[in-house]
Amino acid sequence: MANSQIVGSVPSNKPLFAFRKVFSLLAHYAGLVAFAIFTCFPFLWALSVALSMDPSNIWLFPRSFLPTDPGVGWFERVFSEIKFFTYLGNSAIISFWTIVGAVVVSILAGYPLARLRFPGRGLIFIAIIATMMLPQEVAIIPNFVTFKHLGDLSEAVFGFKVTGLNTYSAAVLPYVSTAFGIFLMKQAFEQIPQDLIDAARVDGATEMQILWRVMVPVSAPSIAALSIFTLVNAWNEFIWTGIVIQDKLKMPLSVGMFNDLTGPFAVSTSMVMAGIVLSIVPVLIFFAFTQRYFISGLDGAVK
Amino acid sequence: MKTSSSYTAIAYLFLAPALILMGLFTFWPVGYNAYLAFNDYSIVDATATWNNFEHFKYLYHEELFHDALKNSLIFLLVVPVLQVAALLVAKLVNNKLPGMTFFRAAYYIPVITAVPIAGVAWLNVYRYDGLLSWFLKTIGIIQNDVNWLGEPEIAIYMVMVFTFWKGIGYYMVLYLAGLQAIPAEVEEAAILDGANAWQRFWKITVPMVKPTILLCTLLSTIAALKSFQEVVVLTRGQADTYTALYYVYAQAFTNFNFGRASAAGLVITFFCVLLAIVQFRFFGEKK
Repeated sequence: MANSQIVGSVPSNKPLFAFRKVFSLLAHYAGLVAFAIFTCFPFLWALSVALSMDPSNIWLFPRSFLPTDPGVGWFERVFSEIKFFTYLGNSAIISFWTIVGAVVVSILAGYPLARLRFPGRGLIFIAIIATMMLPQEVAIIPNFVTFKHLGDLSEAVFGFKVTGLNTYSAAVLPYVSTAFGIFLMKQAFEQIPQDLIDAARVDGATEMQILWRVMVPVSAPSIAALSIFTLVNAWNEFIWTGIVIQDKLKMPLSVGMFNDLTGPFAVSTSMVMAGIVLSIVPVLIFFAFTQRYFISGLDGAVK
Repeated sequence: MKTSSSYTAIAYLFLAPALILMGLFTFWPVGYNAYLAFNDYSIVDATATWNNFEHFKYLYHEELFHDALKNSLIFLLVVPVLQVAALLVAKLVNNKLPGMTFFRAAYYIPVITAVPIAGVAWLNVYRYDGLLSWFLKTIGIIQNDVNWLGEPEIAIYMVMVFTFWKGIGYYMVLYLAGLQAIPAEVEEAAILDGANAWQRFWKITVPMVKPTILLCTLLSTIAALKSFQEVVVLTRGQADTYTALYYVYAQAFTNFNFGRASAAGLVITFFCVLLAIVQFRFFGEKK
């Protein structure tokens, strides 16, 4: 693999021996394919086992990479024995609100940090960035206690749980305000020419109007990137969500599927594999449509 | 034109939602965690009773916690391997040859897959008669099946392989962004001057992406120090695979000893902050 980086993206005017060019090109692709097999084999294998109606297929390496007696029976069993669509719906609700919250909060916070001068600006920015260094995982216990209290409080005041344990908001709220989101939007807003803002101010626009009518439309690629990253994180989060949401009817895919697939009732490895395949399909479809934004969006964070 | 004092009000108004949420779910927990570390917390009636340094004394003598800390340090070994590999892979996909979009996507798939889902797939790879045993037997490296996640000497390294597999795509994308910021003329000039690929890599690529290397190293060091999801999914702490945060998790949600868990959490927070300070010093000197 190390050799294959001999091929660069840079076109050379110097004549190269043809065989050397072909050889290094082949080496390059061999490296690419080998690594693709490394990253994808668990899923290809899962797919093959899931499509084999013969459950002994899984023991037959390497033949198990091709389905024996192909059929979709295991997938049908996943749908009938696991609350797949309930989990899917819960994942969608939790992810949607996390994205809406993260985008609004990050845009609002990113603007003053990028474009306004005010006392305390440096200190606030450092405090926000410092949260990247703290192990957020230690917040699990206090946050659990907080949501227990919030639930009790809201039941006492409103008569029902506005938030608290076993509510969607418990899965959403801790992930709305993140240093990554605020930092990404700050970087995006800093690249917008000052003339645009000055022109809007001369026309009498309020800061709120400048933000939503001038800054936000120009920053669409960064907002798209933030949305995608938030979606992937929210969709895949399972430790915190698994702790605060114990109600099976409110569990997202990552929690519900893992519990069902590894729990005492998961007797069939073939069905487990079918479950794995089904639960990554939504993410894969989404990723297929948005993958170019991943790279362009991260550009801003790196510079 | 507005005066600067009205900007101050607007700035704080805009920052309010972010700061309130961050205060409630990030800063307050760190403080409350420190408070719980000196208390016994009862989950039944949600009360805390002061008990001095008892939790810390317990941790100081407990072997399981020592092992957990040791494993967290061992876990840091994954950082250099991950960074070198990610940079090389980013080099591989940073060109306009046909099929590059496909390969980038293939390398990113583990990143976008939930840890438990990917973990269940890997459990079947690591099983004693699983895919890995079969593969190594076929190429003649081992003679008998190995229970990869059941042997205390190797289980933690197997968890690290999973971390490597899961994370490489993420750092690849970061490096790719860094590589694409290098102007093509720089490398063209080096080729004209007769620099070979090895020289170009060390004299151009590495210095140009240095900021990205430092960022990625910081991110993955902190991530490695905080690793525990993969332990939850792969081993549940069996075979000497407790990491420091897994210890916190197990104490809190298996033993329901929130006080002891918080004390352990405070120790880890201390290490993370210490590490961040060291790395920031490192950043500062390089700039």
